[in-house]
Amino acid sequence: MSNSSSAITDAFSLLVSGDAELWNIIGISFQVSTTAIALSIIPALVVAFLLAYIKFPGRRFLVSFFSTLLSVPAVVVGLTLYLVLSRHGLLGEWRLLFTQTAMVLGQMALSFPILVAMGHAALQSSDKRAWETARTLGAGVFKTIYIVLREVRFGLFAALLAAYGRILAEVGASMMLGGNILHHTRNIPTAIALETSKGDFAQGIALGMVLLMLAFTLNYLLHYFQGKEGLVE
Amino acid sequence: MSSQNIQLNLSAIQKKFGHQTILRNVDLSLSGGQCKLLCGENGAGKTTLLRIAAGLEKPDNGYVNTGLGKVSWKFCRKTLQEKIVYLHQQPYMLDGTVMYNLKFSARDKQKDRRKAAIEKAMAWAGLETLASRNAKTLSGGEKQRVAIARAWLRNPLVMLLDEPTANMDTDARRRTLELMFQLKEQGLALLIATHDPMQFKKLSDACLILNNGEIKTDIDVEYTEGPVVSIHQHQVK
Repeated sequence: MSNSSSAITDAFSLLVSGDAELWNIIGISFQVSTTAIALSIIPALVVAFLLAYIKFPGRRFLVSFFSTLLSVPAVVVGLTLYLVLSRHGLLGEWRLLFTQTAMVLGQMALSFPILVAMGHAALQSSDKRAWETARTLGAGVFKTIYIVLREVRFGLFAALLAAYGRILAEVGASMMLGGNILHHTRNIPTAIALETSKGDFAQGIALGMVLLMLAFTLNYLLHYFQGKEGLVE
Repeated sequence: MSSQNIQLNLSAIQKKFGHQTILRNVDLSLSGGQCKLLCGENGAGKTTLLRIAAGLEKPDNGYVNTGLGKVSWKFCRKTLQEKIVYLHQQPYMLDGTVMYNLKFSARDKQKDRRKAAIEKAMAWAGLETLASRNAKTLSGGEKQRVAIARAWLRNPLVMLLDEPTANMDTDARRRTLELMFQLKEQGLALLIATHDPMQFKKLSDACLILNNGEIKTDIDVEYTEGPVVSIHQHQVK
């Protein structure tokens, strides 16, 4: 018990004192995950929109396919990309393995199906009259798409939160593709796994607190804006 | 009514959903300042016909045009969406205030003229006190007035209204009808799908009965008290 208490105290000290190594790990985590989300969001929204609004052969198959990808473990995604990026792999010549780029690719592969599946669900449940009303009021296709996306913005924001939360906290793909190299590819979850295995709980707890604070802040923001627009009490 | 004044012309429109034929061979024309009622039982195809006329639904066969002759559906649809506004049975309010909804359809690129048009539309539809209200929280009658004012701002030639007074109280119905009278006076062509033609007796010039996928009659209104089916039976006999 006393060990746990002192670990928590040490964790607070690490965060408050501005420990360079700790904040470097946090920086890498946010840099990699934010880049991955930023690169995924537009193509994922396009796919989600096509699946929700355009009828074409194989549409149902694709919806099921992306839903299935939601349950694929991060370590399997990591393994697949590892085989592709390793020296004898399809893209081995690019020498991306154990770089932040490889981690970004892994996290994109994890976030893309979440954004597509949840984005599709939000768009699918949107009132189709929004599209028709915008069109009949003379809006062009892009303005109409903007109106529909605006109508379901909270559903899309929830998808973004879910995807960001998932990739920020995943260990498997980052460990396999990044290699957990200090100051280079060590992010929050791989650092927690490493420090805990070494018995250094303070850093793990400090990093865990950062993740919890982030999750709380993002969720609070979502509810704040929904409340501001009178959608929740 | 001269042929040049024809704002909407549907000819030989056919539409099937699966194996069910909704519209068999429908002809309809509408001139400026004219109001026609489209009556028929549930599922008769009234809404489908309005949606085709608005360019929201593609007919399987037939032509829809606004006096341009025989044109491709793609071009025709664009023209229809420029000149015709379709109002849903339950008007859809864009997520935002009443002012936002009106701003959305105000076309003038010059800011001052756009602002003046919006203010005029608000005064016309009696929406001044509702300007800052969230449009989604309005009553059915208020939403219908916003929808009509929003459509009016587009300066259309034709307005298609699907059961515009359904589920409204007497006062809301009266105010909506007043707006529709004014639209007609301004020279707009109105096509109204309804179950209750009596409500529009003073407004309308003709009542079309849509039955079994065809328009059975296109005559001066001969209103009878009671539901629309009695009119239909009367005409068919």
